[in-house]
Amino acid sequence: MSHATTERHAEKSRLMSDFHLNTAESSADHDTVASSFDRREFLRLAGFTFAGVALTGCEQARVEKAIPYLIKPEEITPGKAYWYASTCAGCNAGCGILVKNRDGRPIKIEGNPDHPISCGGLCAIGQAQLLGLYDSQRLANPMINGAPTDWQTLDQKLMDRLKEIRTGNKAVRLLSGSLTSPTALALVKRFLASFKDGKHVIYDPVSRSGILEAHERTHGIRVLPRYRFERADVIVGVEADFLGTWISPVEFTAAYRSGRTLEGDPPQCSYHVQIESRLSLTGGRADKRYAISPSDRVSLLKGLLSLLEGKTTRAKPGESSHMLFLNELADRLRSARGESLVVCGSNDVASQMLTNAINEVLGNYGKTLDVQSPSYQHQSNDKALEDLLADLRGEKIGALFIHGVNPVYDLPGGKEIGELLAGVPLVVSFAERIDETAHRAAFVCPEPHPLSSWSDTEAVAGVVSLTQPTIAPLENTRALTESLSAWLGKPSSVLGLIREEWRTTVFSRQTMEKNFQSFWNQSVHDGFAVVAARQHRKGAFDSRSARNVVSTAAQGERFELVLYPKVSMGDGRHAHNAWLQEVPDPITKVTWDNYAIISDVAANNLRLASGDIIRLTVADADPAVTLEVPVWIQPGQPDSVVSVALGYGRKGTERFAKIGPQWLEGKPSVGPDGLVGVNAAPALQLLDGQLLYERQGVRIEKTGRQQALACTQTYQSIDTPPLLAQGTEARRPLIRYATLAAYAANPSAGSGPEHKSQSMWPEQHEYKGARWGMIVDLNACTGCAACVVSCQAENNIPVVGKDEVLRNRELHWIRIDRYFVDHDGDLDVAHQPMMCQHCDNAPCETVCPVLATVHSEEGLNQQVYNRCVGTRYCANNCPYKIRRFNWFDYAHDDAKQNMVLNPDVTVRSRGIMEKCSLCVQRILEQKIEAKKNGKAVADGAIKTACQQSCPAQAIVFGDMNDPASLVKKKMADRRSFNILAELETRPSVGYMTMVRNRSEQTGETSHG
Amino acid sequence: MKQTNVITLLLLVGLGFTALTLIQAFSQSYALPGNNIGYEPVQPIAYSHRLHAGELGIDCKFCHTGAEISRTAGIPSANVCMDCHRFVTAPFNQVRAEDEAAVKEQRKPRRIVSPELQKLYTALGLNAELQRDPKAKETRITWVRVHLLPDFAYFDHRAHVSASLDCQTCHGEVQTMERVRQVSDLTMGWCVNCHRSSNALGVKGKPVKASTDCVTCHY
Repeated sequence: MSHATTERHAEKSRLMSDFHLNTAESSADHDTVASSFDRREFLRLAGFTFAGVALTGCEQARVEKAIPYLIKPEEITPGKAYWYASTCAGCNAGCGILVKNRDGRPIKIEGNPDHPISCGGLCAIGQAQLLGLYDSQRLANPMINGAPTDWQTLDQKLMDRLKEIRTGNKAVRLLSGSLTSPTALALVKRFLASFKDGKHVIYDPVSRSGILEAHERTHGIRVLPRYRFERADVIVGVEADFLGTWISPVEFTAAYRSGRTLEGDPPQCSYHVQIESRLSLTGGRADKRYAISPSDRVSLLKGLLSLLEGKTTRAKPGESSHMLFLNELADRLRSARGESLVVCGSNDVASQMLTNAINEVLGNYGKTLDVQSPSYQHQSNDKALEDLLADLRGEKIGALFIHGVNPVYDLPGGKEIGELLAGVPLVVSFAERIDETAHRAAFVCPEPHPLSSWSDTEAVAGVVSLTQPTIAPLENTRALTESLSAWLGKPSSVLGLIREEWRTTVFSRQTMEKNFQSFWNQSVHDGFAVVAARQHRKGAFDSRSARNVVSTAAQGERFELVLYPKVSMGDGRHAHNAWLQEVPDPITKVTWDNYAIISDVAANNLRLASGDIIRLTVADADPAVTLEVPVWIQPGQPDSVVSVALGYGRKGTERFAKIGPQWLEGKPSVGPDGLVGVNAAPALQLLDGQLLYERQGVRIEKTGRQQALACTQTYQSIDTPPLLAQGTEARRPLIRYATLAAYAANPSAGSGPEHKSQSMWPEQHEYKGARWGMIVDLNACTGCAACVVSCQAENNIPVVGKDEVLRNRELHWIRIDRYFVDHDGDLDVAHQPMMCQHCDNAPCETVCPVLATVHSEEGLNQQVYNRCVGTRYCANNCPYKIRRFNWFDYAHDDAKQNMVLNPDVTVRSRGIMEKCSLCVQRILEQKIEAKKNGKAVADGAIKTACQQSCPAQAIVFGDMNDPASLVKKKMADRRSFNILAELETRPSVGYMTMVRNRSEQTGETSHG
Repeated sequence: MKQTNVITLLLLVGLGFTALTLIQAFSQSYALPGNNIGYEPVQPIAYSHRLHAGELGIDCKFCHTGAEISRTAGIPSANVCMDCHRFVTAPFNQVRAEDEAAVKEQRKPRRIVSPELQKLYTALGLNAELQRDPKAKETRITWVRVHLLPDFAYFDHRAHVSASLDCQTCHGEVQTMERVRQVSDLTMGWCVNCHRSSNALGVKGKPVKASTDCVTCHY
């Protein structure tokens, strides 16, 4: 060593002298240091020091405490989940749910398979309700004039005010959304009866009042029928997005699906025609889609009615296309008398009356739609709402109680309403947060989240459901019924009130249980009870009413504006829910915003591109209404129609400004005004007792500004480039479908030729035990995205924010690819849920440098988070592009929101790759339980989160090595195929072709 | 740097590393950083497994009910202790002595409460008669976890208990411990080793399928 050192020293001295020559400075210190301690020594020393310091950094593991219960409740075992049956309150449909609890808090909501309305499914909004529970924006205390207070003080002050009001002459109104709770309705009635002039006014922001009003005029009863899609062979939807947002989409999806199972010979499949003015989820799924503009609707319905009544003769060739289409439709409907169903989703009474007449002529009443055992999901009365607004303007209202609705936000002229509210002597709100309306309320009495309170529901006649708390209320809140009973002078607990109501009005409607307590116990356990429906007497059909229909819609020039609720946002009450904001819209695949949808022809004419902000001016509104929204170009949109979604631009969405990772180039997820999206409600119209969602004579102007829209599906065409075309497939056969005629002739139709290529892998890997596989039936899938949110809830998938979505970094493990296919001059939409395919010959497994992704003995492609170093080669190699990378540490600093995390799934940090694991935590749970019980895992015991939530039960998971399993049966079906099979990846996830009820034999098979 | 210097340095570093890893395989008292073998923390209440599980012969699963039915065996809640300690407030010979003294002095025997049990009663907010005292505030009993696995390793007790493994296999002879001590490595290698040998040899004569898939513990 010394020999080398001397040499080195000599060399070093030479170098140092060179150094000195080159620099002007040379201090004595330099010389001293230079001779005994140079750069190399320094680096060597630094290296050792660093290593030494690093070693000392390795310390004893952290000290962790374990705090057991003092007195443990019997039903709770730490580490084991326990379940409660309850009812979802995401919308008015009243689907039954099962809530999974761990360690005292709910962590997952699932559909209740026994519930007659939802049959086990749960939509995206329902799944996202869990996040709404752990929301720190919810009011923690009741408020008086903006200052938090306690219930005692509030009750005292409010009851004093009520005493004053009772002596006065002014009216008292309770304005609420549709209330399906029998207890709440009874209590509201009692409360309002204590005033001289007390009335309950119900309106829904997305109103179905037209249907109720129409039935009053045509059948003498003001009801919303219960629609039975499962009994219909021919379904005609006129502007009704019944698979997406109309009334009860989970129920209707399950029912619709049951009519299209393709079982039997000839294969069972209903015929679905959709007539609509914008491309909706339901329209994309239809067998025939007919695009119209809203102003054509009434004349179309009139034409159809007169054809069915035999009043008009058949059209001859050469007549208008409307008549040709209607002729075909009338023929189909006539062939299915009593087994057809025509539904209309518009809120204008004229269209609804015509629809009633059509259904009456076809003999559908009592068969596919039931008014005697109706639905109570919507009870709105737009006329009463109009009267209330008139009363407000006339200063006739002494006290206004507002529950479950936000009129300042979701009604047209909301600003004016806000000012009117300021003039009402007493405004009481039951809102959960200070929204646009609660701002004007002197008293805010927040309600607990439905997951933490008792409630009851009778959403459809005869099915009474219970909501039970799954966690103690996280804030100091009180249910509506408790507040009302306190103000009536007889304070009771909400549980007591519900039990009393059930004892007096529900228990007597059933005969199974003789004892109320056992009936109650059984109902709480099941989550619902089926009791005798209150029969509504249907009057004779008044055919004259439908005949005198005059459409209020004038013929418009320019554009017609259609306002609609999105599948993920509904009427906007969930705008504060990050999961719902980030779910891509099933048709446009855009997240985080609303936009004005126009067709490509219209865009060309106006020289607009997607993202250009336009100004929509509704000229005939007084005062004129303008909306500034970015444009989205959408195939399938009629050229004269522009549509904008409701539910955006809500106060409170400022919270999303910093939701994404905060880095140098990160941008906020909110618009320039600080909110997500634009409120389109000012463009609604409340006219003649109808809340109308269409406007004519709308002008579009460019503003010159742009706004990026975060779309998750930016690849537009899957046509095979000419260079790669092998001469057979014009389009890459990613999604395959066939017509019913082709399928009936050959069940393999559409599933495509099997590609055989050279493979370096052995023919078949051996699986001695279970072999997990999944199959997705594209014929059932409607693209509703319930699976996406369910997966997000189950697997702790963070929200990344709009900017990250713009960079294609959304983290959803399952995505729904949406394809448009030209058909017959119009458009078909096909949806294909894509998750990790768990390939046998996985391209990702071979390229991981640290073996963080390997294949399990049971066929799963495992992702081991603690081993992953973030090379991203696996995502590069994946042909399906389902691997998601954590580019940042997504914020988990909201302690309340962290309660939503599933303790069985690792929360991934920055630099980790993640992907669908086929819910391996659920697989292991069931395997270990089975092992403990000494049995084999039953088929169907393991349900992945996506499978469990699907309203159409399109996804099936199971053991492919079990000859009796459902998944094996479906994979053996001739409709099954694998995506990108030609790459020889041998995926464990299969798909089944979609079959549309069409009569063409050719031209529709194996389309991409 | 000169070639030999580099090689020497590398050899020294390699030797050091090998020494570090090998020593811990042969020595009970030395372990790599992160390995908690021998950890014996002081607990808030000096509960003795030697007395309860050893001398009195109470089965592990009588108190640690979670072991058979859940991922975590759990530390028993205070109501389990109270099953017996409603009546047993002190060691038997002390109570006997007090009884004898009381008979001799012709008075009623005083209730003797051992200081450790007093901690339990205080946590539960009980008064001198061991009834709930409404004025007293309940407090938690904060036990210190002895067997800690890192967050990315998910261990499920059910699978192991249903495979007829004795608790002592991993936790050592707990019934001889005054204070619970970690006697096993609990490193991944130690776990996988047992999985492999169990697959080959079975557990107590019964064949088992102890998966060595990564996803068994890491998901």
